[in-house]
Amino acid sequence: MLGTISLLATISAIPIFMIIINIYSEGLRYVSLSFLIDFPPPPIGGKAGGIGPALAGSLILMSLALMIGGCIGFFTGLYLSEFSHTKLAQYTQLFLQIMVEFPTIIIGLFAYSILVVPLKRFNAFAGAFALSVVIIPYIALNVREAYKSIPYSLKEAAFSLGISHPKAYLRVLLSAARRGVLTALLIGMAKAAGETAPLLFTILGTSFSYFEGLDKPINAIPLLIYNFALSPYERWHQVAWGASAILLSIILAIFVISRIVVKEVKI
Amino acid sequence: MRSEKIFQILLFFFIFTTLTIVVGIVVSLVTTSSPIFIKYGLDFVFSSVWNPVKESYGILPALLGTLITSTIAISIATPLAISLAVFSSEIIPQRFRSLMNSISDLMASLPSVIYGLWGLYVLAPILHNYLMLPLHNYLGFIPLFSTKPTPTNLFTAGVLLAIMIVPFASSIIREAYTAVPYNLKEAAYSIGMTKWETVRTMLGYIKSAIFAGLFLALGRAMGETMAVAMVVGNILNIPKSLFDMGYTISSLIANQFPNAEAYEYMVPALYGGATILFLIGLVINLVGLYFIKKVMIKG
Repeated sequence: MLGTISLLATISAIPIFMIIINIYSEGLRYVSLSFLIDFPPPPIGGKAGGIGPALAGSLILMSLALMIGGCIGFFTGLYLSEFSHTKLAQYTQLFLQIMVEFPTIIIGLFAYSILVVPLKRFNAFAGAFALSVVIIPYIALNVREAYKSIPYSLKEAAFSLGISHPKAYLRVLLSAARRGVLTALLIGMAKAAGETAPLLFTILGTSFSYFEGLDKPINAIPLLIYNFALSPYERWHQVAWGASAILLSIILAIFVISRIVVKEVKI
Repeated sequence: MRSEKIFQILLFFFIFTTLTIVVGIVVSLVTTSSPIFIKYGLDFVFSSVWNPVKESYGILPALLGTLITSTIAISIATPLAISLAVFSSEIIPQRFRSLMNSISDLMASLPSVIYGLWGLYVLAPILHNYLMLPLHNYLGFIPLFSTKPTPTNLFTAGVLLAIMIVPFASSIIREAYTAVPYNLKEAAYSIGMTKWETVRTMLGYIKSAIFAGLFLALGRAMGETMAVAMVVGNILNIPKSLFDMGYTISSLIANQFPNAEAYEYMVPALYGGATILFLIGLVINLVGLYFIKKVMIKG
């Protein structure tokens, strides 16, 4: 019976190795410096091309999402931890726990309703907003854990210094919870880097120009992978594999950093 | 004292922003989808005709697709997730444990579009050649395997979903497993139980956590969009067998929404699909959270 368990466990771990090996062996051969900055190739003929606009777009969307979502998520998490006795905190926590499991495509529809329809145009900000909404619950719940894990005696000591509450929370206690908070932000970053569904109806994914403004369409790597992988052109499939190798590297980098920061991470 | 007041207001501001977003999502779902429920009522859920040109919409094929793919996923994932959790906290030597957990956590954090690309070009052909074709050829008389399979279909989507949710479910189970009081384990060994009997006792002790992990994983499988949209086939039919190409609600939205504005009722119809998906997910996740709460009270 234990043999069966070991066998099943091994089987369930095989795909991750296959995925990493396949993505890198298929994808890396298309990756070069010009792949990172060029415009995508035409379906047939022309230069080899690259994913420049999508890479730039992804970085812009990630930083915007991290700024908006990180801010809202952090303070929400702080409230959940320090005022956990209030009804407001309890209900918000339940809402967030449900929101973590929301299908992200619903969040895409929401961003479409409130930011694309009124502006009558797909825009980068709607995408950044949708990504922020996706990452808020992850960040809030992890920040809450981080502040909760501070020993009570340390909190008492911080407040006994006679400094104001904001100073106590943001200067003294933040340094005690920094690993957890940093992990929360890294998890949010990884999510923002890889999510596709919230971007489908918000940024459109124009690939033939670099960033033109927050109110204009933009592209992102995951969206490009999706669009190109389902296209009928072999050339675009190759770009999709190359882009996946880049995306996988971004995720792996964030993952390794978060492992170095702290041992136990959950996404 | 003043900075404290400002800080309080700041915290309230952010928490209300969060709450507004949650409420806003639900409100926008309900208001945008209401025309379809007013016009078609329950027919929208139980009709299988999806014909935008005639403005008639039924979500049943996609709903069935969601139920079928997630059922396949959870039935494959259940034994694998429990085994993985037991393996990584009991069987594997101590020094490899954190490596094993890292691998499992990494799997849970890979973007779904990467799973989708891999599923489409690597997993689907393998399943097609070595599993689905033989099943169809030799067991085709069983209705489940009666359709001649193409590489992308409901079954492929189910298997890919299973691969995606195993690490997530197993991490919840693993956490509960390692939190079982050590003296329970000692007691089990001391009355002469074998290792397997001990494991079985421990699994019985963390039943709630296992249910929690599986329910939350099921919720994820139902909501998953991109990976499924890439391997499910995207054809709107009432599925007759596991090997039929199909649609799930989320992949239907992903695929049809870009041209939905051209039709009068298609946007409400797709929001209606999202509302149904949301309600099913809500129930499943609440059940999952209920079990988690039970674990926490016990632990």
